[in-house]
Amino acid sequence: MDKTGTAVWDKVEISPRQCVAWRFPARSIWVERVDSEWHVLSLAEEGRRPAARREPVARAQKPESSQWRHYLHREIGPVQPIPVLPDKPVVVRPDRALTLLPGQNALFFLEIPVWFRLCATVPRQLRIFEEAIVVLTKTWFGDPLTGELCYGLATRLHQGIDSVSPSAFLAVCPLSIANDSDTDLQFEKICLHVENLSIFRGPRRLWTNRLNVEFRGPEQATQIEIDHAAPVFEKGLAPFSEARQPAVGWNIRKTFGMLKSFADF
Amino acid sequence: MFIQQQIRTWLSSLPPDVFSRGVSIALTLVIGLLLVRMLGVVTQRYIMRKSSAQRQMIARKAISYTGFVLVAMSVLGELGVKLTALLGAAGIVGIAVGFASQTSVSNIISGLFLISEKPFTVGDVIRIGTTTGIIQSIDLLSIKIRTFDNMFVRIPNEKILNSEVTNMTRFPIRRMDILFQVAYGQDLSRIHDCLIEIAGANPWSLDEPQPVIIFNDLKESGVEVLFGLWFTQADFLNLKNSIMKELTARFDGQGIRFATPRRVVTVREGKITA
Repeated sequence: MDKTGTAVWDKVEISPRQCVAWRFPARSIWVERVDSEWHVLSLAEEGRRPAARREPVARAQKPESSQWRHYLHREIGPVQPIPVLPDKPVVVRPDRALTLLPGQNALFFLEIPVWFRLCATVPRQLRIFEEAIVVLTKTWFGDPLTGELCYGLATRLHQGIDSVSPSAFLAVCPLSIANDSDTDLQFEKICLHVENLSIFRGPRRLWTNRLNVEFRGPEQATQIEIDHAAPVFEKGLAPFSEARQPAVGWNIRKTFGMLKSFADF
Repeated sequence: MFIQQQIRTWLSSLPPDVFSRGVSIALTLVIGLLLVRMLGVVTQRYIMRKSSAQRQMIARKAISYTGFVLVAMSVLGELGVKLTALLGAAGIVGIAVGFASQTSVSNIISGLFLISEKPFTVGDVIRIGTTTGIIQSIDLLSIKIRTFDNMFVRIPNEKILNSEVTNMTRFPIRRMDILFQVAYGQDLSRIHDCLIEIAGANPWSLDEPQPVIIFNDLKESGVEVLFGLWFTQADFLNLKNSIMKELTARFDGQGIRFATPRRVVTVREGKITA
């Protein structure tokens, strides 16, 4: 049966010799159970579909390709697709340069493309594979000696959730910024350590933890706090996937270095 | 019978503690060498587990050399050799050997400078002269390199100290500069935009720092263009191959012509001028 919206992330039983496809706007992923193997094909596609969907595929219609990958897993049982955030930090370049005046605060909503992870559920949850649904560009954040490799993402800075279209493959990150300094906070790019964020699933959208940023000036350490509770902007949110690297504490030096560039000083 | 008699005579002429001394020397050798080896392994695998390969190698060699010297001194002591006299003699011999092996000494001193200055470490990719490869070890006399076509190259330390060495992996990102010429008579702004598109579409080119595009010079056949793309060390080959393909394909598609050597020949009143 076809599934659309965030229902594409539902657990699914794939019988032997059955093929199922997950269709995203720029990528399709086919998964087939053959004997004691999972056969997986992931292809980037040019034609853009409006929404994500999951659909059964007749064996005669599955694509012929040399790129099918085979994963040996003897136990038969349902598989669980899980959206996970990218494995490196994401540098978000807003569509417009914005200046936050001293004493002001703002709440933004950023859309981050998730990765597709497929897990077997029997006898325990076991990752079969994971793949970026949208391939992001690579970028370098910081100076050439001490910076870090990140993914680049040009996106819109939404100031209200109503302007964010529901999506099954874009996780919405609520970002609250308070400028507690006496200088303007101009940001042209924001480095988000998404590997520290988990994903919540709602009926219409995927969400990450809320980030609270308190800017105290270019010479001061900046406070960045991850809110571990589910965001409050959509009802019925449930934790869905854990952070790749749970943040145990915040590194002040790192934060300061990040915010130097964050504010484009 | 005669041989047995001879052996018996020789054995009776030996000092009474010769067997116990022999056993002691054997034990010193076996246990000492084992201990040195164990200490080296423990240091490398456990104590310096998180150190760089370079530091592990230096520590292992320091332990080995010191250990072997101590074992040798113990064995010599057991054999009754007076170490003070030996050390005195070693000084004189050392001077003689030093004069005779100036190159080796120079290499050793150069090696010490290299280890302390650290222009590169084990695992770095360096270029010295025409040799490019990955450093396998930095020893007192020489460094060992494995080239990318899997050849072993030994370069004396003295030569390295006197040469220009390029460490290609010191910094995490690098810029690949591609120089080419485009024919005269074309819109340079369009070429600029096309290059920006090529860089933006390439998955191995970093979008920050931004690609560098410089119309470098007016050459005989066309305008020289420098196209510089930033990349991470691991993506060198992928970027190099893909960018060349994309560059030629995109230029072909957009009708942009590379410059080819060209000479205008004019025939005027029966005379040819170039």
